[in-house]
Amino acid sequence: MLLPPFQLHEPTTVAEAVALRQLHPESDFLAGGTDLLPNYKWQLNTRPHVIGLHKVDELRAISPTKIGALATLKQMNMDGALWQEVPVVAQTAGLIASPLIRNSGTLGGNLMLENRCFFFNQSYVWRESIDFCLKAGGTACHVVPQETKCYATFSADLPGPLIALGATFELAGPSGTRRVPAVEFYKNDGIDRHAKRPDELLTFVHLPPTASQYRASYQKLRQRESWDFPELGIAVALKMKGETVEDLQIVANALECAPKLLRDIGSGLRGKKLTDAAIDEAAAAVETQVRPVKNTNLSPSYRKRMARVFTKRALLEARAGGPRRA
Amino acid sequence: MNKILKLTVNGVAREVAAPDNAILLDVLRESCRLTGTKRGCDMGTCGCCTVLIDGENRLSCLTLAAQAAGKEITTVEALGTPNRLHPIQAAFSEIGGSQCGFCTPGFIMTTKALLDRNPDPDDKEIREAISGNLCRCTGYIKIIDAVKVAAKELAPEPARPTPPIAAPARRAK
Repeated sequence: MLLPPFQLHEPTTVAEAVALRQLHPESDFLAGGTDLLPNYKWQLNTRPHVIGLHKVDELRAISPTKIGALATLKQMNMDGALWQEVPVVAQTAGLIASPLIRNSGTLGGNLMLENRCFFFNQSYVWRESIDFCLKAGGTACHVVPQETKCYATFSADLPGPLIALGATFELAGPSGTRRVPAVEFYKNDGIDRHAKRPDELLTFVHLPPTASQYRASYQKLRQRESWDFPELGIAVALKMKGETVEDLQIVANALECAPKLLRDIGSGLRGKKLTDAAIDEAAAAVETQVRPVKNTNLSPSYRKRMARVFTKRALLEARAGGPRRA
Repeated sequence: MNKILKLTVNGVAREVAAPDNAILLDVLRESCRLTGTKRGCDMGTCGCCTVLIDGENRLSCLTLAAQAAGKEITTVEALGTPNRLHPIQAAFSEIGGSQCGFCTPGFIMTTKALLDRNPDPDDKEIREAISGNLCRCTGYIKIIDAVKVAAKELAPEPARPTPPIAAPARRAK
């Protein structure tokens, strides 16, 4: 499949990349290319300019409190310090796609992953044959026809645990850098997806020093264990004080257009013991609060029921101390 | 408009004229005439196009040629010749890890990256390593066997069993 023609720019610093973006408003940033290039091959929202970030080495560093957007998923999965301090982040990076894709795919690419939909991730001819959907420049959503909002499913994994752990994202733009809490970054809309302005570049993820005090877990449902986009993901971060819960964050991921922090379920357990019954109750509550739509391979009702099962698994793993390096 | 890219392919420095949107796979096949690397799904799903970039197995269908400039690119052609197969190729051939053969260059390059990193992988590590490569013929069992045989062949020294506790010297009869 041919890529559409574009002009490639190869900045070597973040400042250069941001300046190029200002110069060419009709452009995309390219990191690992494992999401953008397949979309370009399918003629999905292509641009005449591409800003390749492969020479911007300042964004590759990994530490338990600050990870560069160009760190590859493989590097994150292999990083000893990440496994030591925030194992759920290292583990989740290893659950994304296949080893081949993880060798190229980056943290920034996963956080900015295009939302996916059965009616969007198709060839040009396929999409044209049933009229383009909203996300591909059409006028109607094929998933919820009466709606003018896009329902494409959020399919990135890392935002789940990062939101649960209280991470913030650093964005570099023409007027300097700013930080946005991960929980406020994503919008529940398949087209207007996030708080990053078009002229900004996501540069770093900051994890609070307290993140290492949490026991966390990420449970992912997918059709093929070897590699697939999530059909759902449940991230939990649990902080205990003696026998009782001091803080609990539960994030339902890949079920709607954005990851959803279920604040009330987590805060309802504060000060209580995390018994099996409490876990069952929390898992049941998650099932009632998620609203998947029919635009992935598995049915919404199944994914909803599985949200309960996977929340239970996540809470049990977090209670037991979180993931360990295999 | 074409640009001149400096690529090092299989140890040979080359200058290739390619447009900005050129994919590494196309440059290898069309400009370098190295057609061992195959185009399967062209979407990063099947792993047929796997090559090594600086020793790491990567999808050449999802890598711009410009992204690989200045790096060491290794394709299946660098491994062996028809008369003198590389131990990985020989293992795939002898064990039956290859049937129609279309996915085989990808599997071989993934195996090369695995064995360079981990000369003695166990079953789980092999399955994990090849999980991004698809084969529709073999059912994978023979591929896993081939990787194990290749690992043995490539081991620096044959693994010696630990000597048993010294038995008392036999008396001459």
